[in-house]
Amino acid sequence: MAQLNLKKIEKVYPNGFKAVHGIDLEIRDGEFMVFVGPSGCAKSTVLRMIAGLESISGGELFIGNTVVNNLAPKQRGIAMVFQNYALYPHMKVYDNLAFGLKLSGMKKADIDVRVRDAARLLEMDQLLDRYPKQLSGGQAQRVAVGRAIVKRPEVFLFDEPLSNLDAKLRASMRVRLTELHRTLREKGHPSTVVYVTHDQVEAMTMGERICVLKDGTIQQVDTPTALYERPANVFVAGFIGSPEMNLQEAQVDADGAHLVVGGCRLEVPAHRIERLKTQVGRTVKFGIRPEHITAGGHSEVAVQRVEGTLRFMEHMGSEVFVHFTLGDKQFTCRVPSDQLGDLAPKQRGDKHHFGLQMHACHAFDMDSGNNLFL
Amino acid sequence: MYENKKIGFLFVLPFVLGVLGFKLFPFMMSFALSFTQYDIINSPQFIGLENYEELFFKDPLFRKSLWVTLTFVAISVPLRVGFALFVAHVLNFKLRGINFFRSAYYLPSILGGSIAAAVMWRFIFSQNGLVNIVLSKVGIEPIAWLADEHYSIWTIILLFTWQFGSAMVIFLAALQNVPTSLYEAAEIDGATKMQQFFKITVPLITPVIFFNMIMQMVHAFQEFNGPYMITEGGPLHSTYLLSLYIYDQSFRYFNLGYGSALSWILFALVGGLSAFSFFTSKYWVFYSSEKDHK
Amino acid sequence: MAAVLSSRDSVASDAQAKRTLRGERISSVVRYVALIIVGLIMLYPMIWLVGASFKSNAEVFTEIGFWPSHFDFGAYAKGWKTSSEYTFATYFLNSFLIIIPKVIVTVISCVLVAYAFARFEFWGKKALFSIMVGTMMLPLIVLRLPQYLMFKQFDWIDSYLPLIVPSAFATDTFFVFMLVQFLRGIPRDMEEAAQIDGCNPLQLLWYILVPILKPAIISVVVFQFIWTMNDFMGPLIYLSSVEKYPVSLALKMSIGATEEVEWASVIAISVVALVPSLVVFFLAQRHFIEGATSSGIKG
Repeated sequence: MAQLNLKKIEKVYPNGFKAVHGIDLEIRDGEFMVFVGPSGCAKSTVLRMIAGLESISGGELFIGNTVVNNLAPKQRGIAMVFQNYALYPHMKVYDNLAFGLKLSGMKKADIDVRVRDAARLLEMDQLLDRYPKQLSGGQAQRVAVGRAIVKRPEVFLFDEPLSNLDAKLRASMRVRLTELHRTLREKGHPSTVVYVTHDQVEAMTMGERICVLKDGTIQQVDTPTALYERPANVFVAGFIGSPEMNLQEAQVDADGAHLVVGGCRLEVPAHRIERLKTQVGRTVKFGIRPEHITAGGHSEVAVQRVEGTLRFMEHMGSEVFVHFTLGDKQFTCRVPSDQLGDLAPKQRGDKHHFGLQMHACHAFDMDSGNNLFL
Repeated sequence: MYENKKIGFLFVLPFVLGVLGFKLFPFMMSFALSFTQYDIINSPQFIGLENYEELFFKDPLFRKSLWVTLTFVAISVPLRVGFALFVAHVLNFKLRGINFFRSAYYLPSILGGSIAAAVMWRFIFSQNGLVNIVLSKVGIEPIAWLADEHYSIWTIILLFTWQFGSAMVIFLAALQNVPTSLYEAAEIDGATKMQQFFKITVPLITPVIFFNMIMQMVHAFQEFNGPYMITEGGPLHSTYLLSLYIYDQSFRYFNLGYGSALSWILFALVGGLSAFSFFTSKYWVFYSSEKDHK
Repeated sequence: MAAVLSSRDSVASDAQAKRTLRGERISSVVRYVALIIVGLIMLYPMIWLVGASFKSNAEVFTEIGFWPSHFDFGAYAKGWKTSSEYTFATYFLNSFLIIIPKVIVTVISCVLVAYAFARFEFWGKKALFSIMVGTMMLPLIVLRLPQYLMFKQFDWIDSYLPLIVPSAFATDTFFVFMLVQFLRGIPRDMEEAAQIDGCNPLQLLWYILVPILKPAIISVVVFQFIWTMNDFMGPLIYLSSVEKYPVSLALKMSIGATEEVEWASVIAISVVALVPSLVVFFLAQRHFIEGATSSGIKG
């Protein structure tokens, strides 16, 4: 069984700094779990504690049924892919892959089978005789992944493996890694993966579940869709989704059924009014994603029409990011290029009608940041 | 401005003059002198290969000196480099007080070449000196370090090895350049600390090992102060390094032709060994280029 | 859902835990012990020497401990006066008369030459650089005799000139090499900005580079100071009048030809002879080791 269980995991450094505050997390067997968060959120620290490279100050870590807090990395059945690949520069690719197996006393013939299998899987058969310095970034990364695969570990650990690659390569490697995971599972070798990244695009596309971390605490653990549609707090809402969710202060109207943002009075969907009861007359953080704002044209979903002042437009090719203001509050919306309509010729300062899909909006408590609608 | 060849040459002129006047010219003069008989008072007389003939076939002292020198180098250099590597490795740790230890080990390598240090060495190895006192407290018979021809060479070997600090400091810098993530990957691969040292650390610092070996070898062949002060080449020439022999022939007995020939033999020896080392280095020295995987 | 924890599993890993923790602690302790033992062996001769300079002769030859039973400064007084007609004051003065000019000309010439190699293009640069690296590995002894003959021609024998003048021509190639390596690591941005402001090469060197080169220059000063202080063969070959002897030759003289050595005074004066080097070393310690490791070192 290769499930992971973190119970109240803590990390305190010798100088007294508490980096990880009581993490409780369950990772299922064969699952692709992504740890995501801004720098300093301790995601790498947690990963290294799972690996055994950092000591666990408090709590228990289970791999399968065993408490592994004090086991050496080799004994935990894990394999790790490092951000800078950490390939042994003085060994050929073949030997890099075989190193760990040789140390464990495996027979040469068996090692050869495993190494060649992994090479075939990652399409790097022709690289086996090369030295790391002769490899490109993407090739080196594949070798690092291969080194992990040959060990047939219980758990795969990835520490921001794609950060050193350029954007294009990152995109293709993302696909390759995701496919690899699903393929291995289909073949009957399900592998539990813990993947650390600061890039939320990677998180959303690769993870089966995502754990969002901030300052050493878990903000939310859920599937990508759930995180997108139902963020638990302001931080998750702003972190997931690109471009970022529009987050602005809004007043809850006295009647408890309207939100006033930038001078515009917005109707709250009926089924949500109940949740706003405690906030009547107070300020909340109003959130709506750019993709849930239309630029006036025809919309299949019910929208609330507002008049905004155009600031500027970013033309991305297939779509346009339109930046406008409602009163003094700034908003962004995404419009497919062919649906710009009469927005196209407009200049900075011109007025235009936008449509807000209120059923997809959120309201967050100003103090705790929690999503009031959940 | 930096492309202006004249200014550059102007700045480097002192060096050019220095090299020509103080290095190249004496170098060739030494070569020429080795084929002469010269005693300073009279002018040099050309005698062809006689000097070389004499030292190769008729001079037992040369053979003895050569043997002593080779022994000295063969033992001291590996000891010094080995110690330096070992201590650097032990020191390469998140220890508090690492700076203190580093300075402590480095100090002898600076002071060790001094006459004061040689005096001190002579003293502690004398019949009633510190070393013998320590030995007797442990129950070992005192050794006549300076008087016994079998032990005297060890005094100068030890003096040379004592100065391992300089090589150690270089090793320390090289060790600190090995990325920690390599050790972590090896740890995950299941390597013990010992395996990590031999399979990761050592292969990656072979260029530095090579550099240190060559430099220390060149220094060992030129060692002079120690033997001159402590044993004066004795007893029975058991510490009579070639450097001492050359000095004696050139500046004590004024056999300048013969002294030059001797120094050229030494030069050829060092040159040959260096060349040989360079040649064999490609079989065991691994040079990694700092390739940026971007 | 919580995994079922069997008590057997936790016991197994507990034993392993104790083993790894014990292993880590042992390795730490072992390291410290090893380092301290080696450190003691390394430094004890010198510590003992200092203590011995204060002891009576009898005590020196029987005790391992370095702390004298009572302090006797007699050896220092005797050693300082020496058995020659000059006191060590003269000898120390001589040493400084050699060292200070030598250090000054070394720094000036080596900085200039290193500047040329690191920044300029000129005829024969590659060849000269190879020669420079080559001479670092040259056994100097082969040059001693011809240099002596040369200096004899100039009538510089029995003066300090043969010891100082070669350094004025940047013949201490180790320092040139070290400075070149240091300079190569400095980006040219500031120099380019100064160039636009109208500086000529010398101004660039003095106002921009020299301040940045300070640690390396300090290393050069410290190394050259200590090596010159320790230099024995040079003075031995070139100096014949006792009144010109530096400390290194004076020490040799005090051991002298006779078998009877006044050990007490010799030890005392050896300790004193080491003091200037020690002081210089500790004063510039930080820069010292940085400079040494940036390019390799002569031991």
